[in-house]
Amino acid sequence: METKLIDHLFRHHSGKMVSVLTRIFGLAHLEIIEDAVQDTFIKASITWRKQLPDTPEAWLTQAAKNRVLDLFRKLKTEKKHLPNLNQGKNAIAINELFLDSEIEDAQLRMIFTACHPKLDPRDRISFALKTVSGFSSKEIASALLTKEDTIKKRLSRARKVIQQSQLKFSIPTGKALPHRLESAMEVLYLIFNEGFHSNKKERLIRKELCGEAMRLCQILLKNEYTRTPESYALFALMCFHSARLDSKTNTENEILDLKHQDRKLWHFPLVELGNTMMNKAVETNVFSCYHYEAAIAAEHFRASNFDHTNWDKILYWYQCLNALQPMPTHLLTMAVVCMQNGDHEKAKTYLDQLEPKDFVQRVYLYYGALADYHNATKNFHEAIDNIDLALNTVTNALEKEYLEKKKLALLLK
Amino acid sequence: MKEFMMIFIGADYADLGLSPEELQNRMGKWFAWGEKMEKAGVLRGGNALTPNIRRVVGENRTVTDLTSAEVKEIVGGYYLVEAKDFDAVQDIAQDFPDYDLGGTVEIREVMVFDR
Repeated sequence: METKLIDHLFRHHSGKMVSVLTRIFGLAHLEIIEDAVQDTFIKASITWRKQLPDTPEAWLTQAAKNRVLDLFRKLKTEKKHLPNLNQGKNAIAINELFLDSEIEDAQLRMIFTACHPKLDPRDRISFALKTVSGFSSKEIASALLTKEDTIKKRLSRARKVIQQSQLKFSIPTGKALPHRLESAMEVLYLIFNEGFHSNKKERLIRKELCGEAMRLCQILLKNEYTRTPESYALFALMCFHSARLDSKTNTENEILDLKHQDRKLWHFPLVELGNTMMNKAVETNVFSCYHYEAAIAAEHFRASNFDHTNWDKILYWYQCLNALQPMPTHLLTMAVVCMQNGDHEKAKTYLDQLEPKDFVQRVYLYYGALADYHNATKNFHEAIDNIDLALNTVTNALEKEYLEKKKLALLLK
Repeated sequence: MKEFMMIFIGADYADLGLSPEELQNRMGKWFAWGEKMEKAGVLRGGNALTPNIRRVVGENRTVTDLTSAEVKEIVGGYYLVEAKDFDAVQDIAQDFPDYDLGGTVEIREVMVFDR
């Protein structure tokens, strides 16, 4: 028998089940709900060892419905306020909550809960990964390069805030929506970036984070109120970046810059999807940071090789981005772009606006760019000095290696 | 050919805090192992056991109900296989999926009585 389960079936179903059950019983019972869902998967994993059910997904949905009754019985003994399930009407209503569209609705409510501004920004990501995406605290820790204890603390802090502030399990409406949606998109963007920029050896977990962020973003796009030019742009951006996830490192897991990436590895169906999304994102004239970031990523795909990159266009998008959201890293990138264009004087004007303290842990990027500048203007001594400064401050082994290679090349000049 | 029992001893899944993803992966491995034995024609039976324990001990037949959380190790299930000798079963047991969780496979030969 050749039955194979869909990848991540359990993980995704876990998020769905927790969301739907929370919709029925309320956020106050979240912990009991999570335990009950976990229990379902333990049972499934043991009973399915011998024989998979014909329709695993239907089995899991049925199991979730059964959990409604279990939970009801369990909570009833604790005399908590509960929906009345005994009446026929409610029973039908509960069945309807397991329709696909309603499951998506419940998941969207969970996304908004996880991204609620009342929660500490650091706790939002962990809580979203746990409740909407079905990651364990161990998996979250490994994905975010943190200790499991830290994640557990974040999760329990998030739960506490949810209880204390009595957050409603709902999709915000009216005036509250734009602000709340912004916060939700920011969390998805951060989850994606954790995956995209993390330099963890296991590529798998990186891809999974990116995949999750995209899945959650798709949930936003399916709802007419959260489907906005901005959310389209965010999804486009994720498509463009994911398309080159495989080419970012070589087989030895060394980082490759855009110049050295094998463009044949770029995944063009994702680029096309990104383009389609981008067309929807520009139906109005309001552009967000996501629009500009996506435009920059798209510009790289237009060039068949590195030398054909339209740097003027990229510089223009960065200027727009920096006008909307001024950040030292944008200025630094603009300097690098000018250098690509051979315009060292302009690069200098950007570099002069920057100081090492603007970059905190990522100051090695600043020194690296300065080294490039001095190299291009043939001040090799200063270039080497700056590479050394970069090497002193870099913590990531892969980036260290990358810098050391650069230094070696400089020493040979 | 003789019959052997592989008895699986270790922590209960519920007490290990496995994620849905891990559970799915583990299940896949168990499934593949079962299929492999089936194909090789060595599988004679087997079951997984629930983690609820009722113990009856001693002359007074003292009864205690336990859960997996109260005992360090628990028999989680068994497979009955046909094989030439212990070494052959040991080979089969290489694919047991839960060694990394501290699991143990105990191999026992089914006793045959002379007629």
